[in-house]
Amino acid sequence: MSKEYQMRAAINQKLIEMGERERLKELLRAKLVECGWKDQLKAHCKDVIREKGLEHVTVEDLVTEVTPKGRALVPDSVKKELLQRIRAFLVQHAAV
Amino acid sequence: MKMEEKPLSGPDNTRLEALMQDIYSELVEDACLGLCFEVHRAVKQGYFFLDETDQDSIKEFEIVDQPGVDIFGQVFNQWKNKECECPNCKRLIAASRFAPHLEKCLGMGRNSSRIANRRLASNNNISKSESDQEDNDDLNDNDWSYGAEKKSKKRKSDKNQNSPRRSKSLKHKNGELGTSISSDPYKQYNYNAGISYESLAPNEVRSLLTTQCGVISEHTKKMCTRSHRCPQHTDDQRRAIRLFLLGPSVPTLPDVDGDGFDVPDSQAVLSRLQWEDSPDISPADSASSKASGNHSDSRRPKKKKKPAAVAAALSMSGGGGGVNLMGVSGAVSQSTISLSTKKKKPKAAAAAAPSVSSIFNELN
Repeated sequence: MSKEYQMRAAINQKLIEMGERERLKELLRAKLVECGWKDQLKAHCKDVIREKGLEHVTVEDLVTEVTPKGRALVPDSVKKELLQRIRAFLVQHAAV
Repeated sequence: MKMEEKPLSGPDNTRLEALMQDIYSELVEDACLGLCFEVHRAVKQGYFFLDETDQDSIKEFEIVDQPGVDIFGQVFNQWKNKECECPNCKRLIAASRFAPHLEKCLGMGRNSSRIANRRLASNNNISKSESDQEDNDDLNDNDWSYGAEKKSKKRKSDKNQNSPRRSKSLKHKNGELGTSISSDPYKQYNYNAGISYESLAPNEVRSLLTTQCGVISEHTKKMCTRSHRCPQHTDDQRRAIRLFLLGPSVPTLPDVDGDGFDVPDSQAVLSRLQWEDSPDISPADSASSKASGNHSDSRRPKKKKKPAAVAAALSMSGGGGGVNLMGVSGAVSQSTISLSTKKKKPKAAAAAAPSVSSIFNELN
């Protein structure tokens, strides 16, 4: 278990050090904006805010309401592409 | 969490897959969180709902779709019928014509100076014969306004470059103006500034008549400034005008009716005198073709008629008045020389004609 854990920690570190994580993050953000995911989620946010009242909204409220929906709303193509890139990275750099 | 349950002995693939999924979900969660923070900040700072308009504003700026009215609800031709009083001449001018009127009335703006110069030049043409250079410059300055003017400007400079009639471009200019009437946006000014025969001395009348049609229009009492081939008037009219204006004893050069056969030959002679191709507008050229009643083109290619050409030139000079004899014979001798030396296409007939008219000009 800890070996697994160690391995994962090492891979994560490598991801970050090589800048791949940033790249992946940017790529994901761009794709999500492009496919309209961001706007969809923002609209959902508006509903939540109107529901909770403008003055009393907290970050936690938004997070708990929005994140599960956001995860579900990611289109398949985006997900596939990202997974592909991650796999490529892992195959190349991880000594698995 | 899930990962720890995976057997280590399992194929690497599943571990790889699992890892992939983990990394992916971390990234997605990052994105979601980022969005939440953004929205929360916008809410707290008060700019989250800015992109929504309130109902009142929406109604106020609604798109209008009625006929006769534009998309904002404004009427289109509202100011079209209004009249404005010009501060200069105190006249009431229509709104759409107000700006151009002001330009001319006040004498400012691009076109007004050009028009004024042109008018001055045409006045000077009648009285003296020196202003041609300025005219050229003035017309040459037009190259940045209308494409049509470019045409007339180019024609003018083409004709003037090599010919000996540089000094005669004023007369040439009148003829040019006449033909460029059809292509010029200034044509309305040419019509207005037409030449009234009463104001001209006989010399000027004669010189004008050699280049222009000259038929006097009944309603305006002005001479037609077009070329000798102008379609509005017939040869008979032109002849009659010349008889009327200059007296029966001195019909001008282009109208000599005697030898229809010789005149085109003289044309050929004159064509050899000139080196340059010139377009349609040459006074003697069009004149002689008119006199012979045929298209000069059909008669031009006559390279063998040297003696006849000389005779023709002499007869031409006879027609132009005894006073012209000397000048023309000078031209003829030149032409005979040129005949032997040059074998140019007779298209230069038009260019040859200027030499004759330049002779006239000197005499005038």
